[in-house]
Amino acid sequence: MEIPLKVESLSKTFGQRKIVSDLSFQVKLGSIHGFLGPNGAGKSTTIKMLTGLMLPTSGSVEIFGKKLDPTQSNYKSLIGLLPEHLPLYLDMTPRESLQFMMKLHHQKLDSSREEQMIELYGLKEVYERPIGHLSRGFRQRIGLAQAMVFDPKLIILDEPTNGLDPQSVVEFREILRHLSKTKTILFSSHILSEVELLCDEVTIIHQGQIKGSGPIEILGKQFKRGQKIHFLTKNSEVQIPNAKKNQTNTQGEVLWTIDFTDENDHRREVFEYCAEKKIQILELWTEKSDLEDLFLQLTESKK
Amino acid sequence: MIYHLLKKELHSIFSTPLAYILVSLYSLISGVMFFNLLVTYSDGIQVVNPEMLKGISFVDEVVLRLFANMNFLLLLFIPLITMRSFSEEYKNQTINLYWLSPVKEWELLLAKQLAALIVILSFMAMTLIYPMVIWGVGINDLSLLVQCYFAILLNSLAYISIGVFFSSLTENQVVSAILTILSIMLLWMISWGAHLSSNYYLSELMAYLGITVHFERLLRGTINSQDLVYYVSVIFIFSFLSLKKLGMRKFI
Repeated sequence: MEIPLKVESLSKTFGQRKIVSDLSFQVKLGSIHGFLGPNGAGKSTTIKMLTGLMLPTSGSVEIFGKKLDPTQSNYKSLIGLLPEHLPLYLDMTPRESLQFMMKLHHQKLDSSREEQMIELYGLKEVYERPIGHLSRGFRQRIGLAQAMVFDPKLIILDEPTNGLDPQSVVEFREILRHLSKTKTILFSSHILSEVELLCDEVTIIHQGQIKGSGPIEILGKQFKRGQKIHFLTKNSEVQIPNAKKNQTNTQGEVLWTIDFTDENDHRREVFEYCAEKKIQILELWTEKSDLEDLFLQLTESKK
Repeated sequence: MIYHLLKKELHSIFSTPLAYILVSLYSLISGVMFFNLLVTYSDGIQVVNPEMLKGISFVDEVVLRLFANMNFLLLLFIPLITMRSFSEEYKNQTINLYWLSPVKEWELLLAKQLAALIVILSFMAMTLIYPMVIWGVGINDLSLLVQCYFAILLNSLAYISIGVFFSSLTENQVVSAILTILSIMLLWMISWGAHLSSNYYLSELMAYLGITVHFERLLRGTINSQDLVYYVSVIFIFSFLSLKKLGMRKFI
């Protein structure tokens, strides 16, 4: 079977600093592959090397079986990239920018393709308005439409949901699910839950090195997930074991946080403990640790 | 491909007010200069003794001076046009759209240079009114006008290739404009330095490297291959350097 993306011992150094070292992984045809790592792990640098925007210090990248060579342009219409910083001409309308992208790839935007793009990315109402006047959510969709319009087989997205409001994130996820029926998608993120929702396979990197790569169920077991319980109390005088006193607001309410390394439900325990000690809880909520916390735990435990 | 790229460039240039402001300012300032030259000349010929008038010609006092002044204005205006070329693409990271598509570096560079040239041509079109005003009164020689505009055109091409090069170096438009202005001024000043050196070869070299000598010869119509080689070299060198800079991403 054809492999859309094969990375072999990819490394990048700037002077003395190793940004990425010895990355090897594969993306299967028709899959959504998550590329996970905390901020500064080397995800964007890797993506630049995967798309030929940057030359690796060593190692190789193969796109559909062909070795990627930045001096050639034979691979360029195979990859659609949505970078973290959206490459948009704010003075163009979505129509103009899609037409321009097609011309860059020596194609013509016919009306059926145009309608398809408007429909899929929900661009009907903004299609003739300058991109500079549109919201972040629309810009993100136009960015993706731009990367997709010339029909690449492999789509690479760098932190696509950063800075989107929850509604747009849900819509964006739907678009990706729809795309995955016909395309192979690699998408980077630092949010574990997002990757879990969408991806079949995942590659995790930290400090430029691979911590794991493969089907998500298998990797999920390797990384224990934790959670945080936050709660507000009226009285700041009390002591609660294991809890970290975070901040006091103007009304004298105190925010506490307890870190748990397992996934069991601890809300009841916390509530009962406070009830016993007559500490009034005003509000209580949980937060699942994101990947960044996981990596912090991981690196701290190694010290 | 170049046609599509050029169309896009012109769209971005003319969709902002900057281009219109610059064109209006250019024609306003050059218009004031033209008026001034005319007034000074007509005042002058009324005051001086008719015997002395023999050494003063309308072409020297008004036409050539006008074109020299227009050239001076270009020193300030061309960097303001070219500063956006690549700097803005770097800043918005839209440059990657080209590198992710089959577009070649030279195609993009040429489109940027041509777009700047078209803006400059629109500047020049606005100045065509001056020769019309004095046609038949002060001048009636079409070849003089052609050589003057040809001189301005070659100078513009040289300045554009310098401006686009500095724009390809940085994502900061202001830095790009300042570097371009300084470099063009340096090209002017080299030939002034020629008088300071006592070494014959050095002073000859400095005189050749300066752009003013060549520009003046072109204006006066005493055109020779030396001058053409000079302009072609400047344009070629800065275009070559820009291409090298654009291609560097493949090697770092």
